[in-house]
Amino acid sequence: MNDAHTFLTHEIGSLAKPPWLVKTSAGRPLDASDIEHARSWGEKLDVDGYEELVELLRNGAEDSVRDVANWSSRYALRLQEKAGIEWVWDGEQQRTEMYAWAIAHANGFESRGTVRSFDNKYYSKSAVTGPISLAEPYHNDEFEFLKSAAQAKLKVPVTGAYTLAIWSYDEFYGPREGRLGKGESRAATIEARREFALDIARDLIRPNLQALIELGAEWIQIDEPGASTEADELELFAESFNVSVEGLDCTFSTHLCFSDYDLFFPAIEAMTGCRQYCVGFANYDSRELGTKAEDRPGYEVIAKFRDLPYDPALGLGVLDIHTNFIESPELVRDRILYAVDVFGDPARIHVCPDCGLRTRSWDVAYEKLVSMVEGTKLAEEALSRSLAEAR
Amino acid sequence: MQAFVPGIYPRSEELVQATRDLDRGRTTEEAVDAQVERDLQQLVAAQQDAGLDLLSDGMLRWQDLFRPLVEAAAGLERGALTRFLDTNTFYRAPQGAGGEVRLVEAVNGRYVAPLPAERLVTLPSPFALSQGTGYTPREVAEGILKPQIDATTAEVVVLSEPFLAREDAADFDGLSSALDVLHGGPPLALWITFGDASDLLAQGLAELPVDGIGIDFYSTGIDAVPDGFGKHLLAGVLDARNSLLEEPREIAAFAARLEEKAERVALLPNGDLQYVSEPIAREKIARLGQAKTTRAEEA
Repeated sequence: MNDAHTFLTHEIGSLAKPPWLVKTSAGRPLDASDIEHARSWGEKLDVDGYEELVELLRNGAEDSVRDVANWSSRYALRLQEKAGIEWVWDGEQQRTEMYAWAIAHANGFESRGTVRSFDNKYYSKSAVTGPISLAEPYHNDEFEFLKSAAQAKLKVPVTGAYTLAIWSYDEFYGPREGRLGKGESRAATIEARREFALDIARDLIRPNLQALIELGAEWIQIDEPGASTEADELELFAESFNVSVEGLDCTFSTHLCFSDYDLFFPAIEAMTGCRQYCVGFANYDSRELGTKAEDRPGYEVIAKFRDLPYDPALGLGVLDIHTNFIESPELVRDRILYAVDVFGDPARIHVCPDCGLRTRSWDVAYEKLVSMVEGTKLAEEALSRSLAEAR
Repeated sequence: MQAFVPGIYPRSEELVQATRDLDRGRTTEEAVDAQVERDLQQLVAAQQDAGLDLLSDGMLRWQDLFRPLVEAAAGLERGALTRFLDTNTFYRAPQGAGGEVRLVEAVNGRYVAPLPAERLVTLPSPFALSQGTGYTPREVAEGILKPQIDATTAEVVVLSEPFLAREDAADFDGLSSALDVLHGGPPLALWITFGDASDLLAQGLAELPVDGIGIDFYSTGIDAVPDGFGKHLLAGVLDARNSLLEEPREIAAFAARLEEKAERVALLPNGDLQYVSEPIAREKIARLGQAKTTRAEEA
């Protein structure tokens, strides 16, 4: 470790879609505030040629949905780059949603409508109804475009096999009738889900990853927000990760959020191909400053990630994405310094939000990310000082 | 034999869109209220068309099983966003805020909507509401649930209990003490949702001081129900976490087996129907009604 350690910063995946993309995609008319949104954010983020978008929106973009989506990707990239993030994605501007986008490009699923996630947030849910296969690689077009548009490095978020399985209804692998009054056999349920998740891993995720790698993807983040849904299926989650990535030439990480993280141990000891876990902690943490264990209750579990035998990095979630509260740079700093203290090796700590910032406005998301980068710099400075003092 | 549907009912696609629009500043509270009212009317019609015995308002405004009560109470506050069991739906886990826990004002017609016929009301069980708060089930029963039930007019109050079946060592004495507090008003039913109640039944679930016990029969084998079951048996025969549609004849045949074990049986879902989309939930309600009719014709 040298005196000038810098922490790798990255985002997680999703970002809200701007009103001009939402309305254009839905075929709804724009109003003056939408065009002002495009103008003001284009100016604020220094988006090259944003006047072209403003003109397009003013003249009616109903026949240019793809162009508008590309503009939205440029804006989202710039929002993160301007905030100072090192590894970025476009906030999934061109995807419907992390589950629906993958399912829409798979064979073997049928839509079953909309289900609430929380409050006024919802997701579309499908059922597996037949054999699963990849209809077409579903991140290639966006990756190709983003390669041409990004200034920072690209990390591709891909929804993982286990999450796709656990978020779907099963109308194919498990029994269709005769369940009433039998009592649940967990072994049979797990075996059905195992078959389901591994089919997704092998026949949907893996060929999609291979397509991305052929296009030059360097870092692929397997999103698994559903990983800890069933405490007795963690080994299945790990197995599905391994089947998805084993032998592929790329850096793979996984994203976990809003879970009892203790549950992941020891199952993820088997995920030796995972080079980084990016995990949401801030949601559970205090907003008070401090770098002692008692100051950082949300980060209690990180020592378990430290002790994994294959030494993965930890993507340290330092922004609570469920609130508009803007974490101060000092709070971010203290969360990082606490993690460094636990890990001992700052190189194994990366800095990121808890999860995608899709549920926050761009104003809030940008402020949070700026604060995250500033807090990261404060942590770097503090670390340098302490190293210098130690010598 | 009765049939009814306690718990939170899914929102229609129109209400989903209205609430999304509200969050994005594209519509008004009044427009959302109007859509909630239309959803409620459709839900009432679905229950009446199915011939259900007690109406439910579907708790269409409840963000989760706890939130309106937490927000109406002193001593509780909204905690972290927490996954609800094995679903992809999250709730704000209640947490203790210190001091005496008490209902400041009973949740009103906004959360317990008026209905045109005999009705049920669903509330969290005292055990579920107390989880993670630092208060005992009896304290939340006395401070929150009892005054809420006293302000409630219903043929039955269903106390939804999603957590008890997952306890390694359920504290029956504590729960019994809490349920004792709640008597004096409408009949009470403890609804064990989304879980295997076999161990609870073996430990004396049916002896708890309530009038009815709800069992999830997709997780619980029928053999776990003792012969001569002395309580109103609320049988969870619709799988609210599965999009597969139940066969009314299979439910009716199963109900006949239950009637050999319990004098009074009601057919209902094994948990809140909000874990399937509204069109699927509506079809499940219709099939519940068909099952009840089929059983009545066969009896």
